[in-house]
Amino acid sequence: MLLSTHGLTKRFGGITAVDAVDFTLEEGELCSVIGPNGAGKTTFFNLLTGVLEPTAGRIEFSPTDPAAYGNEAEDGVVDITDAAPYETALLGLHRSYQITNIFPTVSVLENVRIAVQAHRGGDSWRFWRNVNAFDDHVTEAESILQRIGLAAEADRTAENLSHGEKRNLEIGIALAGDPDLLLLDEPTAGVSSEDVGQVTEIIEDVSEDHAVLLIEHNMDVVMGISDRVAVLNQGELIAQDEPETIRESEAVQRAYLGGYDPDGAATGTDADDGGESGVSAG
Amino acid sequence: MDTVTDTTAAHARDDEHWLREYAREHVPHLLVIALFAVYPPIYGLLLRTPLSAEANAFLPGTTFLIAMLFLGLFAMSFDFISGYTGYLSFGHAAFYGVGAYFIVLVANGDVPGIPAGTPFVITMIVGGLLAFGLALAIGAVSFRLSGVYFAMITLGFAQVAYELVRNWNYVAVNPQDGPTLSGPTPEIGIPYVDSVSIALGRLAGDSFENVLGLGIDISATLTSYYAIGAVVLLSYFAMQRLIHSPFGRVMIAIRENEERAAAIGYNVFWYKMVAFGFSAFFAAIAGALFAAFSRGASPDETFYFLVTADALIVTIVGGIGTLAGPFFGTAFYEWLEDILSSEQGGLAPYLRGILPDGVLTADIAGITIADLINTVVDGRAPLFLGIVFVLFVLFVPNGLLGSVRDRLGNTVGKYVGGRLERYRR
Repeated sequence: MLLSTHGLTKRFGGITAVDAVDFTLEEGELCSVIGPNGAGKTTFFNLLTGVLEPTAGRIEFSPTDPAAYGNEAEDGVVDITDAAPYETALLGLHRSYQITNIFPTVSVLENVRIAVQAHRGGDSWRFWRNVNAFDDHVTEAESILQRIGLAAEADRTAENLSHGEKRNLEIGIALAGDPDLLLLDEPTAGVSSEDVGQVTEIIEDVSEDHAVLLIEHNMDVVMGISDRVAVLNQGELIAQDEPETIRESEAVQRAYLGGYDPDGAATGTDADDGGESGVSAG
Repeated sequence: MDTVTDTTAAHARDDEHWLREYAREHVPHLLVIALFAVYPPIYGLLLRTPLSAEANAFLPGTTFLIAMLFLGLFAMSFDFISGYTGYLSFGHAAFYGVGAYFIVLVANGDVPGIPAGTPFVITMIVGGLLAFGLALAIGAVSFRLSGVYFAMITLGFAQVAYELVRNWNYVAVNPQDGPTLSGPTPEIGIPYVDSVSIALGRLAGDSFENVLGLGIDISATLTSYYAIGAVVLLSYFAMQRLIHSPFGRVMIAIRENEERAAAIGYNVFWYKMVAFGFSAFFAAIAGALFAAFSRGASPDETFYFLVTADALIVTIVGGIGTLAGPFFGTAFYEWLEDILSSEQGGLAPYLRGILPDGVLTADIAGITIADLINTVVDGRAPLFLGIVFVLFVLFVPNGLLGSVRDRLGNTVGKYVGGRLERYRR
């Protein structure tokens, strides 16, 4: 067990965005989280990474290096329910964003390098040494650029990349934190259909040596690469199983195909949960 | 064995290369330093040539040069936090004021526990540390906010400090005019070693006559100029060092995208706090230099919000987030001020001198040319700087140095270094 949530709940006023979710993820697993817009997927990520505080419930994480955050329980299990975003990151929980969230005016290499530097302990507090003297940061950043196919763009300013390249960089920054668990929030959002294949390849490659939790609307991608698929609807975890079983599930099809009533549709808490979802399930 | 020697040789070459590269990248620095070092004697020579009237009118005099130095350092410290973390410190004058007041109060024996005879360099640094602590206290509250709210709350703190010192009878007999330095002249140099210390001040400072037998006289003002310049230079290199360190890169990451900086594992609050502390430290150094040179400090010249506003304006003109830019912005401002005031030469006396009486008294729509000069030229630097500021915001938003860097595609140092490298081959 790498990650587990127990009765995880988040309410915004009268709206329940995430509703008593019990979820576990094993090491090395690639699990997709799907669900209609407003199902609470991104909110779920925000709870896991400490951006939002849960209304109720508990989150446990078993990182490689539990010492990075003091609140350690037995067996290397850490309760990260109240951890701040930087603490979850130092523990090995890294995320990418649905809306590209990079460091725009610095170079592509620096985008990744600064993320590498973050988990190099006290390096960031070395005031008197030139940053170029830390060769290992650059070497690691370069190998990550290689992995996400941006090695040739290292010196370009990040904001000048194409949308597809920015999506890859988005993953690269998350990858640079040496994560135990990678949370990818719609990595193919806005990516042209020709380029989806390349992003998928990167995800598959990354999942070789990382556990991955993937929010994705493109069902070809989800069904193609997931070990397991979890379905959220109106904040509730309504199903989780192998891709084939999920594809056949009636409950899932109901959730997607008008299965939710107008009241339910109003639970649009995932305000930024990208418009057209391109659902092709069933 | 061969391979071993090969790598050592390669290493030796690498080291040399690294040193040369370092030197090359500092060529622009050296040029600027040289310019500031040789300017006063050249200015002095020009005043003895037939061009003296022009030199006096259009070139900055030494008093303005010194103001360039400490105000430039203050503007750079403002840019250090504002330009590199994106948090506009609108209360920066408070740190400048702390540095200024602290050295005056210590010299006057008004600070309990610190003897009046403590060397200036030490009190200056202690004042800087005090400002560092004050920044942590202000930051602990202010960094809960961001954007314009951060700017407003820091401004609020500075105004509180301003009102406090303006009405605090302890600091001066007349607190609204501020304290004056009554102790011995502050000295820059190695504490307790008289031979390597230089006294500051317009009148009471050290002066040297016939230096090295070259017939060059260095007045007290000029001595202060070089001594203050040395401190400003050291402070600049220290700040530059910080910005080029891993810590500085985190500051830039916070400016670029604070949410993401937190998400990749930075406790952004403490990075902002420490960066704020450093910028306050150097602001206090600038304040100490100002107070030492002018032998006193008044609330309106230190804690007042317009002091911060001047730093903001020269930072925009020079280029925000460039560190050296605000210094050049300050130089530009002081130069403009010199031309447009009649304190040391200036345009108004020059025009009055060269224009024939007939022109001066000529009447245009009820106003004479002489009146016009008095109204729109003499002492009107803030007016013209305001116009320049508006033009910069509209047309040169990246400022002087920022635009140069955009044009070169790199910092000036790296660019010049690269060019020199090519010529060497």
